[in-house]
Amino acid sequence: MTPASPAVLDLHVQVPVGHPALDLRMATAAKAIAVVGPSGAGKSTLLRAIAGLERRARGFVTVQGEAWQDDNAKVRLPVWERRVGWVPQDALLFPHLSVRENLAFSGASTAQEVEATADVLEVAHLLERRPRNLSGGERQRVALGRALLADPRILLLDEPFSALDRPLRIQVATLVGRLTRDRDTPIVLVSHDEEDAEILAQEHWHLNQGILTPPA
Amino acid sequence: MDQRRHGTAFRARLAFRAHPAWVGPITWAVVACAALAPADSLAQPSGNEGSDAILVLAAASLGEVLPGIARRWTRETGVPVDFSFDATSRLAHQAMETGRADVFVSADAVWMDWVEERKGILPGSRTTLAGNALVVVVPAGSPGSPGPHPSTWEGVTRIALAGENVPAGRYAQEALEALGLWNTLAEKTVRAGSVRSALEWVATEEAQAGVVYATDLPISEGVREAWTIPQDAHAAVTYTGAILAESARAPLAEDFLAFAAGPEGRRLFAAAGFLPPPEPDSQAIRQAPPEQRPSVASAVRISLLVALAATLAGLGPAIFLGWILARHEFRGKSILTTAVLIPLVLPPVVTGFLLLSLLGTQGVLGGWMHALGIDLPFTLPAAVLAALVVGLPLYVVAIRGAFEAVDPHYEELSWTLGSPPAATFRRITLPLALPGIVAGAVLAFARALGEFGATVVLAGNVEGETRTIALAVYSLLESPGGRETTWLLVTASVALSVGALLGYEGLLRRQRRRMEHRT
Repeated sequence: MTPASPAVLDLHVQVPVGHPALDLRMATAAKAIAVVGPSGAGKSTLLRAIAGLERRARGFVTVQGEAWQDDNAKVRLPVWERRVGWVPQDALLFPHLSVRENLAFSGASTAQEVEATADVLEVAHLLERRPRNLSGGERQRVALGRALLADPRILLLDEPFSALDRPLRIQVATLVGRLTRDRDTPIVLVSHDEEDAEILAQEHWHLNQGILTPPA
Repeated sequence: MDQRRHGTAFRARLAFRAHPAWVGPITWAVVACAALAPADSLAQPSGNEGSDAILVLAAASLGEVLPGIARRWTRETGVPVDFSFDATSRLAHQAMETGRADVFVSADAVWMDWVEERKGILPGSRTTLAGNALVVVVPAGSPGSPGPHPSTWEGVTRIALAGENVPAGRYAQEALEALGLWNTLAEKTVRAGSVRSALEWVATEEAQAGVVYATDLPISEGVREAWTIPQDAHAAVTYTGAILAESARAPLAEDFLAFAAGPEGRRLFAAAGFLPPPEPDSQAIRQAPPEQRPSVASAVRISLLVALAATLAGLGPAIFLGWILARHEFRGKSILTTAVLIPLVLPPVVTGFLLLSLLGTQGVLGGWMHALGIDLPFTLPAAVLAALVVGLPLYVVAIRGAFEAVDPHYEELSWTLGSPPAATFRRITLPLALPGIVAGAVLAFARALGEFGATVVLAGNVEGETRTIALAVYSLLESPGGRETTWLLVTASVALSVGALLGYEGLLRRQRRRMEHRT
C-alpha cells in the first residue's frame, strides 16, 4: 500500500456547482479518510459523486481498483450496482418500514446478521419500531447498520455524528471503526468538524474553494 | 338618446338570437348543449335592465320565426324585444321563478296549464299562436325511410327524441304509442334536452332517426324528412302565449302577443311552415302522457358505478402521468402538463363536444369504431369516459403532489442499497405516496360523481343507462312535479360528496404523517 498505488480510492471529477466549480482530485490508499471543510464546500457532492448520484459529475472514479466511472471510456456503473454504504446526514430511515425492515432492506445479509449488527449497535430492542419513534442517536445507528448490512465496498458517511452528543459520538465512532476493520471496508467521512475527523480517520483531507488538499 | 338605447338593446337581442344563418350545424350542438348546462340555465339577456324592452321566454322551435315577428312589431312600436329560447319545460320553471320576463310562449297546453295553476300568468291572457306537425327525420345521406310499418325501422339503432317532459318529446312518444310503434322503438330512444338537440344528433348521425317539428327541417342541412307523422296520432301541437303575472310591462306584452296572433303574425308563422292555430276543442282530445320521473335508485346506482369505474380506469394513467410530471424533466413537459390539465379549465360541455367529435359515429376514431360495430356515444362506457376525462386533471395533480411529497433522497438511498429504479418505485416511492394516491382517487371519485356537462353531451341522459344523479336532478327540474324526488337525489349527492371529501382530507393527513421522520 504505497501512495503510488492508490488501491482504495482514485478519483478526479469536475462538478459545475458553486464558485469556483468543484474540481475534486483524490488518490489514496488509506482505509479511513476524512474530508473536512466548511458547510457548502461540496463535501456531500463528493460523496454523491462516488455513489454515482451526482449526474453532473464528469471525470473518473475508481474504488478498490474497480472503475465505477470513467467518462473517457464511457463507463458509468449504475448506483445500484456500486454497493456503497451511504449514510446521509439526516439518516433517512424509510418511514414506512420498521427498524428491522430498514436494516434488512438491501437483502445482502441474513436475519442472524441483522440481529447481530443490531446488537452491536444497541438497537436490538427497537427492531419492531417505526423510525418516527426513535431518537436522533438511535436513527443514526440504524442508518449505519443498514449501510453496513448491505455489505458495502466503501462506506460513505455524511456528517455522521452531527446528531449525537460527545459521549455517543465516541461510542458510535468506535463501533464504526470496529465494524469496518472487521470487514476491511474503507470509509470516507465528511464533516465540517476537525474533531469528528480525529475520532475515526487516519488521513485528513481538506475541501476549500472547490479543491481538495491532501494531508500534509 | 332613444336611438342609442334601442341600438344597445338590438345588439343584445342579436347576441341572444340562437341561430344566425352562418352558424353551422356542428356549432348547433354546442349551442344546444350549452342550453343544457346546469349553471345559469336561467337565461339573462344582457343590457336591458331598466330598458323598455320586453323579455319573451319562448319554445326552442320558435327560435327563427318569433324574432322576425318581433322585428315588425318593434318597427311599429319602437319597443325592442329580447328572447330566451329553450325547451318549454325549462322555461315554465323560469317563468315561475325569475319574475323578470313578460311573455311565456309554450309549445303545448300542459306546461301552460302548469304555470296557470300556479297563478304565473295573467288570467284571460292565454292566446293560441300557431300549430305544427311532427316529422320523422333521418340523416341526409341515409338510404332508409322509417315510416308507419315497424319493419321500416329495422336499420335504426338509435332514435333521438326531445326529453320526456319537453313538449316535442311528449308529442312524439304519444304519436309513436298511438301508431303502435312505441313498444319496438322505446328501447332505441335517446332523449335530448330540446327538440333542436335531437335534430342535431340526427344531423351528425349519432342517431339514425329522430322525431322533430316540421318547421325544424330547414334549420339543418344534415337531415331529410322520411315521414310526416299523421296529425291525428297526437294531441295537436299548440303554441300558446300568455302574459306573465310578474310582468312590469303587461300592456306592451299584451300588444306584442296580439300582434303575433294577428294577421301579420299569422302570415309570418305560415311563411315559416307553421300550421294555423288548432281549433280549441282539438287541443284536449288526448290526455298528455303520464309524467315520467327518473328513478332515484337507478340514478344513485349509475352514479356510483360510473364514478367507481372512472376512478379505477384512471388509476393507472394517473399514477403514470403523476409520476412522470413529479420526477422527470423532459422536452415537451409543459405541453404534456397543459394537455393533462386542459379539461380542468375547459367547460365540461366543450370537453364533451370534443369527445363526441372524436368518438361519435362521424368522428375520426368513432367512424373507425363504428365500422367495428362499437358505438360509444349514449352508452354507460361513454358516461365513464366523460367522467374520466373531466376528472383526470384533478387525479393527476393530486397524485403528482403525492409523489412530490416523497423526498427523492429516499429513492437515492434505496438505489445505493442495491434496488434498481423499478424495485425502488415498488418498495419506496409507491408505498410512501400511497395515502396521497388514494386521496387522489377519492377526489377523482368525488369529481366523477359531480360530472354533468361532458356526460350529457357524450352519453346523453338515458334513464337506466347513463342517467346519473346529476342528470336525474336536471331532468327533474324540468318536470312539473317531483320536488321530493329532487330533494332525495340532492341529499344523496351531498352526502356522497361530503363523505368523499372527508375521506380525502383524512387520507391527506395520513400522507403527511407518513412523511414525518423527525420527532
